[in-house]
Amino acid sequence: MIADRVRAIWCREFQRDDISVDDDFFTLGGQSLIMVRIQGAFIEELGVEVTMDQMFLNPTVTSISAYIESLAASGQKTTW
Amino acid sequence: MILQGKRVALPPAPVVHQQFEAHAEATPDAVAVFCAGERVTYAELNAKANRFAHFLAARGHGRGAKVGVCLDYSVDLLVAILGTLKAGAAYVPFDPAYPAARLQLLLGQVPDLALIVASPATAGMVESAAVEVIDAEQLSGHLASLPVTDPDVPVTGDDVCYAVFTSGSTGTPKLTAVRHEGWFNLMNWLKLEYGLHRGSNNLVVSAFGFDLSQRALMTPLFCGATQYLMASRNFDAMLAYRLLTDHEIRTVHCASSTLYLLVDWERARGGDALTRLDYVLFGGEPLKVERIADWARREGNNCTLLHQYGVAECTDVATSYDLAGHQPGEQDIAPVGRPAYNTDIHLLDEQLRGVGAGEYGEICISGASVGAGYLNGTGPENEKFTTIVVDGAPRRLYRTGDRGYVTEAGELVVAGRMDAQVKVRGMRIDPTDIERALGRLAGVREAAVVVTYTVSGEAELSAFIVPAGDDLTADDVRTRLLKTLPRNMVPARFMNIPRIPLSPHGKVDRAALAGRA
Repeated sequence: MIADRVRAIWCREFQRDDISVDDDFFTLGGQSLIMVRIQGAFIEELGVEVTMDQMFLNPTVTSISAYIESLAASGQKTTW
Repeated sequence: MILQGKRVALPPAPVVHQQFEAHAEATPDAVAVFCAGERVTYAELNAKANRFAHFLAARGHGRGAKVGVCLDYSVDLLVAILGTLKAGAAYVPFDPAYPAARLQLLLGQVPDLALIVASPATAGMVESAAVEVIDAEQLSGHLASLPVTDPDVPVTGDDVCYAVFTSGSTGTPKLTAVRHEGWFNLMNWLKLEYGLHRGSNNLVVSAFGFDLSQRALMTPLFCGATQYLMASRNFDAMLAYRLLTDHEIRTVHCASSTLYLLVDWERARGGDALTRLDYVLFGGEPLKVERIADWARREGNNCTLLHQYGVAECTDVATSYDLAGHQPGEQDIAPVGRPAYNTDIHLLDEQLRGVGAGEYGEICISGASVGAGYLNGTGPENEKFTTIVVDGAPRRLYRTGDRGYVTEAGELVVAGRMDAQVKVRGMRIDPTDIERALGRLAGVREAAVVVTYTVSGEAELSAFIVPAGDDLTADDVRTRLLKTLPRNMVPARFMNIPRIPLSPHGKVDRAALAGRA
């Protein structure tokens, strides 16, 4: 499942293993440096390009995973 | 100790938008702006801006008026800026990435705001009983009937062209005004000193509220080049890198921390889009050379790194240094170099007397770049604009509050602040501004904010909270603070303490707090 893989990426980049799928990126203390690393990991490990604006709009593991699944389902490349 | 900038004559009326208009006349079909796949030529952009200027004039907004702009990066944003300038007015950027509560607080700080230009995506955040909000997308209907001819409003170098919010020291952001002469002088210096030209296409990567973004937005239009805008509200290394790869972009203006992110991106994924640039003009915070040293020394790297220093009060940039002159492996701080044209750097003691060669002093700026001061209120910050006598002649001077010294080679080095202000990821931050926001939260009796450093040396903010009742959790405080403050003002760390330690003078003992973080 995408959400498991996304959560694993978050845990690695935040260097903590207690992140729940509904925790908010910013409430966890997330900063732009971490977000850029997560964006890179999405490309390398999941093969999807997620814009920063989408990451800000979807600040939880659950919501960004749903967004990634919708990208995959529509077969669309990121528009910008 | 004075570092003198080269004296370069300016035209009698150094008016920024007239440079743009000259390019619209000379190269009407050249592309002025590229955004989200849309290309707009100089002639088209000039015509749209003229119409917007007529629109403002028809509502009675002309010379001396202030026009708010709260738009995402778009062609409309440039139309609003250029049209405002053509009308003789000054624009005030409102960053749509800020929370609505913060935008409202900033709005309240602009005296006599004429109107605010927004979009369906931003209008809700700046709605106000006090000021009219104009929807840029609805405007085109109105504008179609207005003339495309230049409104020919007389403007002088002393007129204010824009005003941006900077941190003060009293907990209220200051609205600092920049004059056409200063902005013209800055871009004229970049153009002549570094040879920027019609091919010096630029990509904007910084947020709209920053002073550096005003320069990044206007410099290519001043030089006749193409401006590339990312249709993105937040800095996006992936999109930026793709644009740099796909287009003939030659310059980027950014904060040091943004340069690190771009270099990291290129390093992790390969590619040469960054190394192919002519210039990255960057600064705004202490440079960690080791973050970029291997990339900067990469074989075939064509990119000249200009390490710059300046303050919003004096038109953004005061000095510049070609980082190639900084020996790799040196432990000392990279200099910020020599002054811009028609700009002098003074290193002064508390009595405003010059310090000796090599000695530390407060960095003060005089010359063409000194701005028109603060537009909101008469706080103590206004005293930082003062007059000194140099060689028998009085000169307007701005005291930056930054400490520095001049090397034997005649280069300025910045070595921190004279006061409690801090810089985090390129943004000058007043801790009392954050303390005030914390103090308004339920459950907080008192709060103090200090800058601390991570193990890798990154500056971050730490907040100490005296709870009114039970201890507060970091997650709870952060969630509530994110509703009222921009993200980079929200502290990274929160700690509950029983009381705020005070210095013998009764002020918050920030050094003691930083030691406890």
